[in-house]
Amino acid sequence: MARFAMALDYKNCINCRACESACKQENGILLDKDHYRIWVGVKEIEGEFPNLSIASQAYYPSQCQHCDNAPCQQVCPTNATYYDQNGVVRINPEQCILCTYCINACPYDARYVDNRTITVDKCNFCADTRLANGETTTACQATCPTKVRIFGDLDDPNSEISQVLSKREYKQIKAGLGTKPKLFYLI
Amino acid sequence: MKVEVSRRRFLQGSIALTIAGGYAMSPSEILASAKAKASESGQAGRKKIATLCEMCVNKCAAFAYVEDGVVTKLDPNPYFPKSRNMLCPRGNAGVQALYDPDRLKYPLIRDGEKGSGKFKRVSWDEAYKYIGDKLAQILDEEHDNRSTVAFCAGEGVAEHTFKNFFTGFGSSHFLNHASLCLATTVSGYALTIGGYGSADLVNADYVIMAGANRAEAIVTPDTMDFFKRTIGRGAKLITVDPRFTNTAAKSDKWIPLKVGTDLAFVLALTYVAINEEIYNKQFVATSFNNFEAYKNHILSSGYTPEWAQKITGIPAQDIYEVARTFMSHAPRAIYYQGRRTTWSKNDFQLRRAQALFSALGGGVDVKGGICFGKNLPLIGHDVPSPIYDNAKSRIDKNEAAVVGGSGSWVGFRNMILEGRNPYPIRALFNYKHNPMSNMPNSRKTAEFLKKLDLVVTIDTMPSDTVMLSDVILPECTYLERTDPVKSFGGIEPAIAQRNKVVEPLFETKAVIDIMRGLTKNISKQLFAVTKKYDTEVQDAIEKDGEESVYGDFDLTKAFYESQEELNHHAVANYPDAVQALEEKGVYYPDMDKYFKKLNVNNYEYYPESKKAYSVKNGKLATPSGKVECKIDSLVSKGIDAMPLWKDEYLKEIPDGKFNFITGRHAQFTQSGSSNNKLLLSLVPTNYAWINKRVATKRGIKFGDLIEVSSKVGKTTIRAYPTEKIGQDTLFFVHGFGNASSDLTLAHDNGGNDANILEDIIEPMHGATCLHETIVEIRKV
Repeated sequence: MARFAMALDYKNCINCRACESACKQENGILLDKDHYRIWVGVKEIEGEFPNLSIASQAYYPSQCQHCDNAPCQQVCPTNATYYDQNGVVRINPEQCILCTYCINACPYDARYVDNRTITVDKCNFCADTRLANGETTTACQATCPTKVRIFGDLDDPNSEISQVLSKREYKQIKAGLGTKPKLFYLI
Repeated sequence: MKVEVSRRRFLQGSIALTIAGGYAMSPSEILASAKAKASESGQAGRKKIATLCEMCVNKCAAFAYVEDGVVTKLDPNPYFPKSRNMLCPRGNAGVQALYDPDRLKYPLIRDGEKGSGKFKRVSWDEAYKYIGDKLAQILDEEHDNRSTVAFCAGEGVAEHTFKNFFTGFGSSHFLNHASLCLATTVSGYALTIGGYGSADLVNADYVIMAGANRAEAIVTPDTMDFFKRTIGRGAKLITVDPRFTNTAAKSDKWIPLKVGTDLAFVLALTYVAINEEIYNKQFVATSFNNFEAYKNHILSSGYTPEWAQKITGIPAQDIYEVARTFMSHAPRAIYYQGRRTTWSKNDFQLRRAQALFSALGGGVDVKGGICFGKNLPLIGHDVPSPIYDNAKSRIDKNEAAVVGGSGSWVGFRNMILEGRNPYPIRALFNYKHNPMSNMPNSRKTAEFLKKLDLVVTIDTMPSDTVMLSDVILPECTYLERTDPVKSFGGIEPAIAQRNKVVEPLFETKAVIDIMRGLTKNISKQLFAVTKKYDTEVQDAIEKDGEESVYGDFDLTKAFYESQEELNHHAVANYPDAVQALEEKGVYYPDMDKYFKKLNVNNYEYYPESKKAYSVKNGKLATPSGKVECKIDSLVSKGIDAMPLWKDEYLKEIPDGKFNFITGRHAQFTQSGSSNNKLLLSLVPTNYAWINKRVATKRGIKFGDLIEVSSKVGKTTIRAYPTEKIGQDTLFFVHGFGNASSDLTLAHDNGGNDANILEDIIEPMHGATCLHETIVEIRKV
């Protein structure tokens, strides 16, 4: 039993997309441009050459927020979407009927139709490929060149993520919706 | 790059299609699919093998996971100080290179017009015999002038193995990437401060990256060392680049300058430092040679920021500010050396000026500056290096002031095309190198390759160069071979080794096995030609007997031992190294004691007191032992003794035309990764960056096809209108737009810079100038 979450030192992100590459290989995601569990959000820069705003060019690495109060879970008519014992929002491919309610319900645009598993899929914190084998990292965290991600257990006060969140300021995306997301963007 | 369409919106109307769509799957997808069905654990029998990545030149350490004989995943290997526990997007995509269905699988011999793409499958022995017969005929016709056969190679640890064949063969012509890449930077820094060194970006407080785009053109450990601490944690970054890169996005200041004017910028920085006397006077007094001459030259030439503003377009005030802030942070301040030069004809002088400016702050051989580090020596391997009396010297030796052992590639090619070669060049051995894509003016390269009687290419993929070859020898990928062990010197030195992860697929072989097979087949046959024409050899045979003389010319000797045996020998001075290199892929003395996990992401390799920041004891590896301001020895060869600006360096860009620049992004290496399915799923093609206002005026929208043409050729590419580039500049990423129809995904995908780049070379090393081409565009 754990409550897994991720803190992101997102200002270190250089938009290299190693995380996306590692995720695809780790999880056997179809190599198609519309298939991805994680991504780096990029805003088009503000200003006119040569007067551009450096601050406007931020990179937001993102993926499923593993909300404690996940709208996608609430709307799922077949209970295909569920919380596992570690608080990770998971999908049971046997029960998914591709109704896509979850895609519409998710405020983070985290879900997509996966043509391999025939599931409305998304990030599962590498629960089946890594956590099930006793590993304590996700593929995206392990590979990141600038070490943006800290993955760990919020219920363990000594875990690095708990320590970091107790010391540093952070923000959560669309927290006002009451979703209780478990991705923490360090400021 | 473009704004992503929300997947929710994308979904509308597409659901039926996605369910029905039957997609081709790659082996790893199939395996993942099978695994998902079988069980969730799948750990039994999972092997973990230490390897070194070869998706680009960095050689980062990785662990490969093998399940049922299939490589399923590559993970970062935390033991290697150079790669610091990470794999970039390309490193993660290595599995796709191994299982690329388009790989070269069998030896092939051309079976049709050159360039027709028609080949017949042959056995290895047939291929070797064909090469031996052709070479014997050529050498017989050329009276054993071994230099009529040229050798070229791409960068990589096994280049060394191929070079052993070149050495035994006895040609004068070796050509590699240096003159297409960083020859001027390496020598500019080496001749000025005694080495290219490594920038200590962990400890530098102020860094100028000019043209070096480390957020996208990843170099380890520089990329990780610097971007982990740029924003909000102390280190200041100034990015100088004509376009707004991902590196610029992480900077404190971005300075766009006119393409090709970097030298004027550096000279003006130097002017401010000297004129305001804010340089490190103690370091200059003890460690500079001829400083007075340089000082007088800079001041009397009037290289003021106001002067530079007119040339570079950079406001004088910015130049003052950068020079002053740099010196206030010195010696923990670095003008970053850069790679993937050469940009323009003054590149050697630009790199000299950078090194001199950096050194004015004292940031040489000290923590936070440019360090030279320590090396962990390996034991060399003796290979025969016979002397052939009829082998003539290099033809390209006068194409530039200093043409080194790796030649001036473009100079060499053009001499042959222009008929300026003093003797014929008949054949080319090519290892892991794609001149059709990596050398400017691909039309000329094609003509050159067609002109040769024999082109033998060793590679993994059917590149554009492979398609213009006569014999193709399929090499296995890096995951299928053990390569020469390599020592990586630096502040935190280590030895690393690429271990074989799986057996080679199809009939592919490691280059050492190819060399062993080839030399076994052709060594005696070629010696017979030498015997016929070489009077020295004839005399020696008379004296010592043929068997004894042949011993010195026996090409097979260099490849007697297996790579594993050679590696064991190379590290024999380090107890426990063999085991560590096989299990961990990495070794350095006291690794067991020093290596520590600090937290979930970071490791410590050496304690602070053991890091090799300062190693020179005040004596740099230059002729005077000091920073060389003035290099008089090159003047007779037409190279200025001190960096100076010449009006001819300014180029006018005619109205409506653009200065073309090229570069990289992080999801793509060069043509070598152009067919990688995973990487193409991240970025499907390259785009031409064109200023948004210019594009609007010309009616060009995102994704529109445009034709880009120069004096030497044209290419077609999709447009990306953006304000991240100026109105007179056009950019796209190198390596796309391959012609080879055997590359299913890369064929005709995007624009090819080799088609449009003019083949201009600079005067120091005959290196290619990549940013001198003027192009025009037209909407297709």
